[in-house]
Amino acid sequence: MFKKFTLILVLSVLLISLVSVFGFAEKLTLIGPWAGAEQAGFMPVLEAFTEKTGIDVEYKVYRFEDLVTMLPAQFAAKKTPGDVIFMSGTEWMVKNAKHLADLSDVINEGDFVPGTLVSKVDGKLLAGTFTGKIKPGFWYSKSFFSKNGLTVPQTWDELVTLLQKIKMIPGIEAPIASGDGTGWPLSDVTEHFLVSFGGPDLQKDLIAGNIKWESNIVKGVFEKLVFLLKSGYFSEPAEWTTILKQWEKGEYALYFMGSWITGMVGNPDDLGVFSLPGCEGMVFGPDYFNVPIYSKNIEDTKKLAAFLSGKEGQTVSASLGGHIATNLGVPVEVYPTVDRGVAELLKGVQSLPDLDDTVGGEFQPAFWDQLKLLWVKPNRLDDVLKVLDEKMP
Amino acid sequence: MHRKATFTHLAIFILPALLLICVFVFYPCLRTISLSFFSEGKFSLHNYYEVLKSRDTINLEGFSKGFPLGTLLHNLLWITIHLPLTIFLGLFLAVYLKNVKGGSIIKSIIFLGMVMPMITGGVLIRFIFDKNIGIVNEFLKLFGFIPKTWTAYPETALFSLIFGSVWLWAGFSMILYSAGLETIPKDLYEAAQIDGASSMKMFFKITIPLLKPITIVVVTMTLLWELKIFDIVYVATMGGPGSASNVLALQMYTYAFKALNFGKSSVVAVFLAVIALAVSIPMARSAGERR
Amino acid sequence: MKIKTYKKIIHDSLAWIIAFIWIIPFLGLLMAAIRPMDELLHGWWNLETLNLTFKNFIGAWNHSNVPLGQGTVNSLLIAVPATVIPVLIATMTGYGFSRYRFPAKRSIYILIILMLALPQQMIAVPIFGIMNKLGLINNYFGLIIVHTAWGLPWITFFMRNFFTTLPVEVEEAARIDGASDVRIFFNIALPIATPAIVSAASLQFTMVWSDFFLALILMYSPEKLLATQRIPLMRGVYFVDWGLLAAASILLMLVPILVYTFLQKYYVKGMIGWSSK
Repeated sequence: MFKKFTLILVLSVLLISLVSVFGFAEKLTLIGPWAGAEQAGFMPVLEAFTEKTGIDVEYKVYRFEDLVTMLPAQFAAKKTPGDVIFMSGTEWMVKNAKHLADLSDVINEGDFVPGTLVSKVDGKLLAGTFTGKIKPGFWYSKSFFSKNGLTVPQTWDELVTLLQKIKMIPGIEAPIASGDGTGWPLSDVTEHFLVSFGGPDLQKDLIAGNIKWESNIVKGVFEKLVFLLKSGYFSEPAEWTTILKQWEKGEYALYFMGSWITGMVGNPDDLGVFSLPGCEGMVFGPDYFNVPIYSKNIEDTKKLAAFLSGKEGQTVSASLGGHIATNLGVPVEVYPTVDRGVAELLKGVQSLPDLDDTVGGEFQPAFWDQLKLLWVKPNRLDDVLKVLDEKMP
Repeated sequence: MHRKATFTHLAIFILPALLLICVFVFYPCLRTISLSFFSEGKFSLHNYYEVLKSRDTINLEGFSKGFPLGTLLHNLLWITIHLPLTIFLGLFLAVYLKNVKGGSIIKSIIFLGMVMPMITGGVLIRFIFDKNIGIVNEFLKLFGFIPKTWTAYPETALFSLIFGSVWLWAGFSMILYSAGLETIPKDLYEAAQIDGASSMKMFFKITIPLLKPITIVVVTMTLLWELKIFDIVYVATMGGPGSASNVLALQMYTYAFKALNFGKSSVVAVFLAVIALAVSIPMARSAGERR
Repeated sequence: MKIKTYKKIIHDSLAWIIAFIWIIPFLGLLMAAIRPMDELLHGWWNLETLNLTFKNFIGAWNHSNVPLGQGTVNSLLIAVPATVIPVLIATMTGYGFSRYRFPAKRSIYILIILMLALPQQMIAVPIFGIMNKLGLINNYFGLIIVHTAWGLPWITFFMRNFFTTLPVEVEEAARIDGASDVRIFFNIALPIATPAIVSAASLQFTMVWSDFFLALILMYSPEKLLATQRIPLMRGVYFVDWGLLAAASILLMLVPILVYTFLQKYYVKGMIGWSSK
């Protein structure tokens, strides 16, 4: 009796281990940073992939900063926690080039909006491009504007006049709401100023480290921002989702935010957006993913990579709203109405990478922290710029 | 009195703990010390030099321009404000609540601040100093102050954390002093009263001196707590804005796990350890005296 | 007589006012947790509209990416072993130090005491390295070991002090009757030490439960994060909401507060043990 029991036990353990090793081997793992509502805007893409190919994909949430800590050890042990990993920062990609698979055989350069594919490293394409979010400018409520006789500014002077006018409206705490997540969107507003008044090349040079933060060009741009800060046109930094509610209630008129805001408000059709006058570039943050070479199922993973970057995957994502495609094959009709307008904005301007996401490392949290300081103490501009230069890699 | 231990005794009673401590506490400490002395593969004092002269640690410009003053000065400031307040509050509360009806409930309420995880302590501090929903601003409005979120401004961020931490930690010294008060024999007070001593005199000549050993413990434990502050700052301000509320423990973490500079992080850790050890000497001596 | 009673009433009332002032922040937190955001936007002390709801607690417990329910389970999985193991081991070690002589005893003891002052920052980086080599990063076993090792010095100190107050006569008598040392420990010393053990255990449990720094270094998988780690994640990175954050904080506090409430006597004795020994 005892022997029989042991036999059954051993067999079941063997069976379970076999099943867990082989039975689920078909499943791929994808790691991304989105959770909650943002995750809901991504899962249908994976579901569409499974429907098409029959391959299951398990989604896991990891923040970029945790991945940065965890991946080196995993890669060194020739393992990977995910077959497809959404990661940020070209610096990271270049550093880990030898662990990443070449995706040139499944991703075709010509299919994408220029500038949205990562540069090749030693002739290899190490990251695939998914859809992205634009940070176009200041969002406002169209009904609020028409009720108060406000118009979209075309020049710097018109902007200042507009802000002055808004400040006088009763019920307004401050014309522009300053959202503070862990430091962004303050960084997004700042980058928008740099691009609008310094030009797209300035953004690229800052990222590459070719220009110092303390240089006259950069300082000049910041001084415009500081002028608005000192005039009290910006609010004190507040939790970005709390202030979103207050903005909807009319306590603030303008809110600088990324295109994902369309999915977060009660009435997206009332939304309008304008960029700073003279803006010729826009921060378009596509999401990039890598495929580590240690994936257990490279074949299927490459299929997933092709799907995500390809027309099909991006179409699903775009249709859910809040995302803009990088793949040229995605027709503009699939976008929900308000996103169509945003996609139009992207035409005719240069698409640029997000500065602090790209530089990353110690610079990013310092950038956020210094901007929080600048917002409440605009007269400390010189100190802030000095620290930014210190923290650049 | 003490029996000589045989090998078996040692193996069962002493060895397991000793082994674990050596491997997971003692060795890492030595390693951290050694890491602090290595820069670019060579033995050097470069890390110490860098950390000490860094504006992260000591920022003398802060005296004219405003916070940040550097982590070392921030922790010092924390001690300067928090320690005396803790001692006085604790003593006052212990004495004041001594024979109050329902006093033990009141003491428990005050002690709650100690029982909760410091992460929630930080959330509470951020919360009470908020511009719109914070109770401190509401109170200050009565005196004509304009509300603002204390944790968002460099000149008030650190102070909000310090005062918040006084509220959290007061229960500790209160409980210790309460216990101490219980141990003072009543006859001493009775005898003094017969001699015509006022309550003030009794307090200063009897209570305080007899509470000295407890005071040493309160001071030491409070100092150690003030040096190691991490959770509160992490969740309330993350050391900001502009490093205005950065503290040594957080600086160590940032150097190690954000900048991946283990040399500098080890230097900060060593500083902390040295100061902590120095601070503990009086208490260790006091404990040794009573062996 | 009457004046004395009046004085006492005033004194006691003031004491209760102090208690009320002390509890105000908690009240605020509770308000934020049970009232909708719109009511709180301009001060939770405004009680005109009072729509109470528990949805924040449910939301925090089942949060879509950092559910506190899962976090609580994880924290328990760490805190219970990380309390039981060091308390057991350290009790034996404390007993050993209080009863036996052995070479280098004094030096070893002093070394252990020195470790009481150390900040966790002192071991952080090497521990990460060790755990990495052992493959125990992001593994509960690793975190339990670190908490155990970290708790051993203070619990040893504590228990050793306790045992020195225990007269040896009973143990001596048992030895004369032929009992072995181990038996004496388990059958005589340990039962008497129960109150001290409960004290140490309640303190250690609270410390491990409340730990954030060690968890921050060793745990990162979203599903494995401990309860304390989930609190900062609810603020700022993803969709943040004071109501949720407040509810989550309250849930996190509940466990140590419960421990304190039920084991108050031991808890307090434990803290005082530092001073009267």
